[in-house]
Amino acid sequence: MLNFLRFIGLLLLLPGLVALGYSVYQGPAAWAVDSSTFWGTPISLFVFWIGLAHAGTLLSAIFLALDIKMDKRTAMMAELSTLCSLAIAVIFPLMHLGVLDRFYMVLPLADARANFSNIRSPLVWDFCCIGVYGILSLLFFGTHLGAKTFSGLKKIRKPLAWLLFPLVLWVHTVVSLDFAASFVPEWAGAFFPVYFIVGAVYSGIALVCCILWFEGYRMRLLEKLLMISSWILCAIWLWNFAAQRTFCTSAFIFAGLLPQLYWVESIRETRIGRICIYLSVLLGLWLERLFLVSPNLGTTAGASFGWVDLGLIAFSAGAFILAFTSIRGGLGSAMEGESTFFGEVDSTDMATSADGSEEDEALDPADEKNYVEPWASHETRTLRFPLFVGFSVATFFCIWCAAQLNFDNIELSLANVIPLVYPIAALVAAFIVCGKAYVNEVRPNFGSVQLRHRKVMHVVAVLLLIMFGSLLGAFYAGGKSAPSNQEVAAQPYNFENTEGDLIGDADSSAQEISAPRAALIWNSRCATCHGTDGKFNEKFIREYYPVPQKLDSARIDSIGVDSLVNVILNGRANMNAYGNRLSGSEARGLVRYMQQLAKEAK
Amino acid sequence: MALVGLLQGCKKGQLGDGAGTGSGERLSAFMKRCEDEVRLAVSEAHGRMDLVKVPMPKEMKGSLAGFSAGSAREASVNRFGMAIDLDLCNGCGKCILACNTENNVALVTDEEAARGRFMHWIDMRGGAPFMCAHCGDAPCEKVCPTGAANHTPDGISAMMYKRCTGSRFCGANCPAKARKFNFNDAQELGLVRKLNYDVPLREKGVMEKCSLCLHRLQNDRMRFKTEAAIAGSNAEWRGRGVKTACAEACPRNAIVFGNWLDPESPLVKAAQGRQLYAPRELAEHDPAVVFMMGKR
Repeated sequence: MLNFLRFIGLLLLLPGLVALGYSVYQGPAAWAVDSSTFWGTPISLFVFWIGLAHAGTLLSAIFLALDIKMDKRTAMMAELSTLCSLAIAVIFPLMHLGVLDRFYMVLPLADARANFSNIRSPLVWDFCCIGVYGILSLLFFGTHLGAKTFSGLKKIRKPLAWLLFPLVLWVHTVVSLDFAASFVPEWAGAFFPVYFIVGAVYSGIALVCCILWFEGYRMRLLEKLLMISSWILCAIWLWNFAAQRTFCTSAFIFAGLLPQLYWVESIRETRIGRICIYLSVLLGLWLERLFLVSPNLGTTAGASFGWVDLGLIAFSAGAFILAFTSIRGGLGSAMEGESTFFGEVDSTDMATSADGSEEDEALDPADEKNYVEPWASHETRTLRFPLFVGFSVATFFCIWCAAQLNFDNIELSLANVIPLVYPIAALVAAFIVCGKAYVNEVRPNFGSVQLRHRKVMHVVAVLLLIMFGSLLGAFYAGGKSAPSNQEVAAQPYNFENTEGDLIGDADSSAQEISAPRAALIWNSRCATCHGTDGKFNEKFIREYYPVPQKLDSARIDSIGVDSLVNVILNGRANMNAYGNRLSGSEARGLVRYMQQLAKEAK
Repeated sequence: MALVGLLQGCKKGQLGDGAGTGSGERLSAFMKRCEDEVRLAVSEAHGRMDLVKVPMPKEMKGSLAGFSAGSAREASVNRFGMAIDLDLCNGCGKCILACNTENNVALVTDEEAARGRFMHWIDMRGGAPFMCAHCGDAPCEKVCPTGAANHTPDGISAMMYKRCTGSRFCGANCPAKARKFNFNDAQELGLVRKLNYDVPLREKGVMEKCSLCLHRLQNDRMRFKTEAAIAGSNAEWRGRGVKTACAEACPRNAIVFGNWLDPESPLVKAAQGRQLYAPRELAEHDPAVVFMMGKR
């Protein structure tokens, strides 16, 4: 079965890669773009896959947090499907950008150039929340995987699940705000967060059901949940139709009506019938996301669906199947619990069959008997203290944000940071929880691990470090700059000591303007890039251009005044032409001023 | 195999014929193409405007967006804007051509022209020119993730092309859809010429829109401040004497540019006693570019 799936995945992925490559090369013109949103397929695919990415962890973490028993294999499948679909989902908002290599400018951190992203934008919240969600899901999965070798890791699964529980809801709410916070009439509505979360849960459960189907078993609890979410979603659709007159019929048929065939026993109890229901749900929800992102698609106002769109869809499906099956095959039995189930186990209700290996470490009995100070209790040590630290860090981040220069001018400045508070807190808390577990549990027992596994772990650690290091490169550009808020040359010259006429003869290019006038022109026109002292506003330049040659008397003399005047007036490479804005005499005066600056620099 | 697929996808695709090679083309031929495109855009214009009455623009209602140079929240003495006199305008489209040549606006491929997707900063809607209204409370600036779309203290909704990542969120959020996205690499396809050296060419993948001829204002400001520093005066710059390219080109003087906060500005004088209108979807966002029709 795995090999068959891999073949299907490869079959979808290869043409999909062509479409992906083409659309990265060609830019957003490649796929069908909606005339009212400029978005289209990548964003609907993003919303679809991020929905799938939520349900896995939602099921695994929330079931764990709420003490609902689930066997290890199902939980691991759900978590792995989360990770894979998250990896697919993040590709799309990145590839849909017009200028790909500037994606890091979305991060709400002041980078080396003291620029700051616009924290009012839901896209910034989105970017951060999804990043944090990805890291936490990875930690959760890794902990679950490692718990087999290091039994101490089991203890931190539940705290992590409690961190993930609100985060899942938080992240999808923020994704829905991308739409709901805008002025597009179809997207206006406060119900969007609920709507998105229900849709995400619904599609995610369908995906997990699909995966279990391929594994050869089923879980009735999930199927019941699938039915419940289909009703909630139908209710929202009908309400939306009553309120806004927008309705996606195909989505309603595939994801609303067809799943109700589950009530027919002959369909429910055959494997073919079940997989048809799951796939119909996935298809219906995808159509629904497409309709949501581009309401005009197919009509005269919208563009028609092309091969690139189909290729992108094939890419996402193929990449998911391939990634999932490879990891599943690679990890093999590590993903299964002690009591594994093979083949058809339809009649086994796993929700109630307790899996012994999943039992949480019971609390220290002493904790229950004696009175413990609140701050010394077990809960405080495992979760409350990390959360406290996390929220403190988030608070400091808010204060730091508020101190940023451009925050003076943004209305509701602090309220706009709130969507970031919980993700930051959760990230810090999760790092503390995992770090503590690493120091207490993993390090002391590291020697007992097989040499082969140890090598793999080292390679993974080194790779993560390299990735982290390369990210830092985005924030360091080198060079020095005057602060951007500094008033440029408030008192450039002492006018009383200057000789000659200040106004100069602006028209004749043979004559030169006076030095103070040249200095003023330099400070107003040139200093933005070249700096008031002629030594360049390096960090500003590096953000946008290659850094030019240093100011140097010998160089200026060797080039000659005439050709420098020519460069000022007509431009060269990255230097703009100033012929419309400066006269020849002014340019000549500027060259003279440059010579003077070069001498002073020495 | 996958790599071959990716490389295959990266092969250059043809984006439509008639793109032209550009470099060898004579300037007059290029100008002819510009004129033809404007004529096509004017003849095919089908948008309508649903106008509602608005009061005369004052200081901006929304606070300034970030990224202005000074951190102090100074009350600006300028708020630039325009008023388009619908009683005079006959929809000739000369403003579009003037704007395109002034701001180096790119042409589009035949394929996109057939779909009516032009890069023009001025569209014809309901027989009158329509461009970005420079809303005081601009929805596009609120959603830009990188802060590339932002407000200058002088009331201009400006674009920082070098910081735009092309997420197109601003375009989705503009109620009037006044923003244009650079789908094509116009320079490579020979669809653009640097006719005016004061305005940079926009690269593929960034958003652009009417800038109220920001370069003319900046040029005038720098000249004014240099003169003021030499003369030792403390005069405030009010942008007097500056005109946008479209206002200059209008044969019937239907487009008036000026400073809404300056009582001596031609704009305030022209709008005095006239009834002002704005498109319905923009009216609540405090637009600085409005329409005039009839007496109040």
